[in-house]
Amino acid sequence: MPLENKIALITGGRGGIGRAICARFLREGAIVYAADLSEGGSLAAHDDDGTVFVRMNVAEEAEVKAAMAGIGSDHGQLDILVNAAGIEIEKTIEDTSLEEWNRSFAVNVTGTFLTSKHALPLMRKAAGSGTSASIINFGSYDGFIADPGLAAYCATKGAVHALTRAMACDHGPEGIRVNAICPGYIDTPMLQSFFTGDGSGAGGKTIDQLQQAVRDVHPVRSYGTPEDIANLVNWLASDEARYASGQLWVLDGGLSAQVQQMRL
Amino acid sequence: MQNHTAIVTGGSRGIGRAIVDRLLADGANVVTCGRGPRPGGLPQAAVWVQADVSRSADAATLISTANTAFGRVTLLVNNAGVQVEKTVADSDDADWDLVMNVNCRGVFNMCRAALADMARHGGNIVNIGSISGMVSDPSMALYNASKAWVHGLTRSIAVDHGPLVRCNAIRPGWIMTEMAEDAFALAGDPEKARADALARHPAGRLGTPADIANLVAWLASDQSEYVTGECFTVDGGMTAASPLNPGLF
Repeated sequence: MPLENKIALITGGRGGIGRAICARFLREGAIVYAADLSEGGSLAAHDDDGTVFVRMNVAEEAEVKAAMAGIGSDHGQLDILVNAAGIEIEKTIEDTSLEEWNRSFAVNVTGTFLTSKHALPLMRKAAGSGTSASIINFGSYDGFIADPGLAAYCATKGAVHALTRAMACDHGPEGIRVNAICPGYIDTPMLQSFFTGDGSGAGGKTIDQLQQAVRDVHPVRSYGTPEDIANLVNWLASDEARYASGQLWVLDGGLSAQVQQMRL
Repeated sequence: MQNHTAIVTGGSRGIGRAIVDRLLADGANVVTCGRGPRPGGLPQAAVWVQADVSRSADAATLISTANTAFGRVTLLVNNAGVQVEKTVADSDDADWDLVMNVNCRGVFNMCRAALADMARHGGNIVNIGSISGMVSDPSMALYNASKAWVHGLTRSIAVDHGPLVRCNAIRPGWIMTEMAEDAFALAGDPEKARADALARHPAGRLGTPADIANLVAWLASDQSEYVTGECFTVDGGMTAASPLNPGLF
């Protein structure tokens, strides 16, 4: 199995995408730590899946350090870090409060920074064992092109993209690869709340019509699943990807490959 | 642009014509060309050459005509282009020849002919690419690819022929030319189509040929003397936004 006995930590590990990554890593033979604010994460319930749950707020340095100390004493190294924890505030900058802005950056950017920073000593040990260690950050296609009313989110994801390149540059010589996945529309609790949240159903559309309209604008005529993301995370985490570093991997069903689809 | 001599390909109408008008207004000597006879209304000051840029002999004629009329060519604007609205599966050999001969070979012919002098004495090249060379318009496969080729060539010329030669590209978005007007006219509901198009432009309007000419003028000026090897988008913000339907959320 490609990830046999690799030690992996996934932040946001009980969210929509995080759970799919955990499940895939377990199937590939990894020892998986799922970090989240609560055992259920962004979903209501959670069945025991074989992951080790770590209660951790990625924006709190003490909690991050404690989590790393725990993994260090269990295994002495960390091979794979997936920074999947993220939040989304659906507002323009005018409507975004300073507190909301700071919270967006605290989770999406500072969280990626803190978790990576304190994972590095353990990841160097993994890299020293002969194969490369891999950090996978979560950017977004929104870090390249904007969705309306999502300003802070777009900005945090652009920051993650730049941080990804900087980390790859600094820690590549130590055998640590750093990449970011930039998802488009993925069927997660975050997307469903986007569909059902304030301002949705504009123009008298139902949620179903809204979802179909979103599917129709994608060249592949659907939005992605968490498993689609896990497929790429798995590859980037594996030694198959040993030469891949510093890159932003857009996974969006072709959405951002096309020019605006005007209705003529 | 006093004492500058510019060649603008495809200057009979649309974006090319706006570039000709702007460069003339800025004081440059301008030679322009097209495959047909001199178009009515082209300012008398502009020299017209009936030429097909896909033929290297015609490219040489354009350079020698400019040299004879005004002296050395200091600015080349490769604007001439054609589009075929087909997918790869529907495109035939003649489509390939048409699009690649004008959009790619034509730009190559003109650059090579101009560089014979520019590589030794300096010069400036501005290519007209397209947002379609970055993100795809449906059923425009060969056109999209040809414009990506223009962006790649732009960087190569900047790298190979700097510091004497600067080379940049402009990627226009939707510019209101006769071609765009035709598209609206063909729509089921032209007014609705126009409103939809406008909603996708943060600038609140579609582009005009003069918007492109404005950037050509800047790239041709000393204000941009450190700018080379770049491709600049002028699209009213359209490609900065996600391609979802406006008003969905």
